Amino acid sequence: MKSIRKYGAVFLISLQNAFQYRGSVLGGFLFYTLFVFIFFSLWHAIYQSGSVAGYSLRQVVWYLCITELIVFGAKTDIFARMNEEVKSGSIAYQLNRPYNYVFYQFFHALGGMVFNILCYGLLAIVLGLAMVGPLEKFNLATAPFVVLSALLGLIINFFFLLALGLTAFRLEENLAVFLVYQKLVFMLGMFIPLEFLPDWLAAAARRLPFPYVAWAPARLAVAFSWDLFLEVFPVQLLWAAVSILFALLMYRLNVAALQGHGG
Amino acid sequence: MQAIEAKGLQKNYRTRVKAEGFRGSLRALVRPEYRLVKAVDNISFTVERGEIIAFIGPNGAGKSTTIKMLTGILHPTAGTVSVLGIDPVKERTRLAYRIGTVFGQRSQLWFHLPPMDSFLLLGAIYDVESRTLRKRIEELTELFALGDLLQIPVRKLSLGQRIRCEVAASLLHNPEILFLDEPTIGLDVVVKQNIRELILRMNRELGTTIFLTSHDTGDVEHVCRRAIIIDRGKIVLDETVKKLKYDYLNRKLIAVRFGQPQPVLALPEGITLLKAGRAAARLAVDTRVRSVDEVMRWLVNRGGVADITVENPPLEETIAAIFQQREAAGYEEHP
Repeated sequence: MKSIRKYGAVFLISLQNAFQYRGSVLGGFLFYTLFVFIFFSLWHAIYQSGSVAGYSLRQVVWYLCITELIVFGAKTDIFARMNEEVKSGSIAYQLNRPYNYVFYQFFHALGGMVFNILCYGLLAIVLGLAMVGPLEKFNLATAPFVVLSALLGLIINFFFLLALGLTAFRLEENLAVFLVYQKLVFMLGMFIPLEFLPDWLAAAARRLPFPYVAWAPARLAVAFSWDLFLEVFPVQLLWAAVSILFALLMYRLNVAALQGHGG
Repeated sequence: MQAIEAKGLQKNYRTRVKAEGFRGSLRALVRPEYRLVKAVDNISFTVERGEIIAFIGPNGAGKSTTIKMLTGILHPTAGTVSVLGIDPVKERTRLAYRIGTVFGQRSQLWFHLPPMDSFLLLGAIYDVESRTLRKRIEELTELFALGDLLQIPVRKLSLGQRIRCEVAASLLHNPEILFLDEPTIGLDVVVKQNIRELILRMNRELGTTIFLTSHDTGDVEHVCRRAIIIDRGKIVLDETVKKLKYDYLNRKLIAVRFGQPQPVLALPEGITLLKAGRAAARLAVDTRVRSVDEVMRWLVNRGGVADITVENPPLEETIAAIFQQREAAGYEEHP
């Protein structure tokens, strides 16, 4: 009960704080729209010759709207923030509190993510409808399962980023690990559907956590099937558990190595 | 009863060293070299409950590193620490409920939100029951004269107002020890005095043990009864402030500016002329011989004074004086 109050309060204050960034969300709307429009034009040209890997133009544009929603909506600055806190020394205020540091960071980020997803979600629906109309065969009854998959995608992404961010406790410069992770998530499902990749690469990718951040929920949204859901959902659960355990382990391994910076 | 006990406490860092220039960068790339820095070097001390102790030293002396080890943020390389009978490394969370920290150069308040929101969050984090928390906020609002400040976004508060809120935020869970790391840094004279009075009231009215780090000797003179001086990771002196004041903090610097050029000042005993201009002078006062008050009156009685400021000598100067006196007395190392 105390934990619910504690982490609930962290979530609420970060949501309140997110309201202060209205201007930045509006600026982000412009980039989101521009990004989706450019790729819509690209896909439009590619699709003159028919469907690609079983995706219709409408499906691929909605796929793009959803993966970009994950990019913009679930954007978390956890990696940069942890680096800044370690380098400036303000990490001291985060570490000497009676809570689990890893879960504190999650609920701290969750408030901002929820706010962004609601804002960008509305924009994604408006843009998708305006550019290609409603999705064929979309069933509102399956929407909660798509949301569940998207939530697991967010969890996987957040805890892997947090785990990598925790290397800042030990390494002076750790940006390289972030860039490698970010590019893998981008190339394996965020930028284009996994089905567009060569079979061998798609099969290899599905053994890794990266496609389960964006590809799984976006694929379920545009072409839901119970077979697919039952295939990807347990894998997402597994990767979510692995990412959380990995973050907890990285915290334990790295906290003792923290060096005091900035007085 | 002891609040803090540190024995043989040590913290080493490994930092990368690089020779200057392009060749140095290339060499560091192929064969990186590291240097061991002893930020805190085998220090031992105890603090009694209810005590106000100053832990002072120049920048980079190891003050903040020590505080961070006492609060469980940094793990010591060697030695043992016990705070309220708890090992901060092994039981950081349990200790967190019983101590508070203020890092003067950092903020624990949410920048865009009013302090009240941060207070409610901290209350939840420290498991303070809602009704108790409201009562506690009322008490602290009165003690620190926070009034309307609690409803103003932190970004709009002055530094002094923010520090008052920071200190109050650290007391919400009624800690038994408050660690204040440079709480007066960057504050003007009036606000500094205000914060010092608050610290004294906190100790008197709430019985809080205060562990204060500073590189401002004024904090020590006005607030503390005992001071530990640390330099380059080692304890240089552990003494009562009364004795410290008499032996080492016995010099004040006075800068005086006159409305018109003045003839050369004939100085009474206990005053040394450090620098003289046509209408200005910088004086050093030996407070064992003559009080600052006397010197001020003497200057004002001469007439034509446009401005006077009184300063403490820099801490580095005091530490140098301590070293000189100790060397002269034949000390090798602090006992």
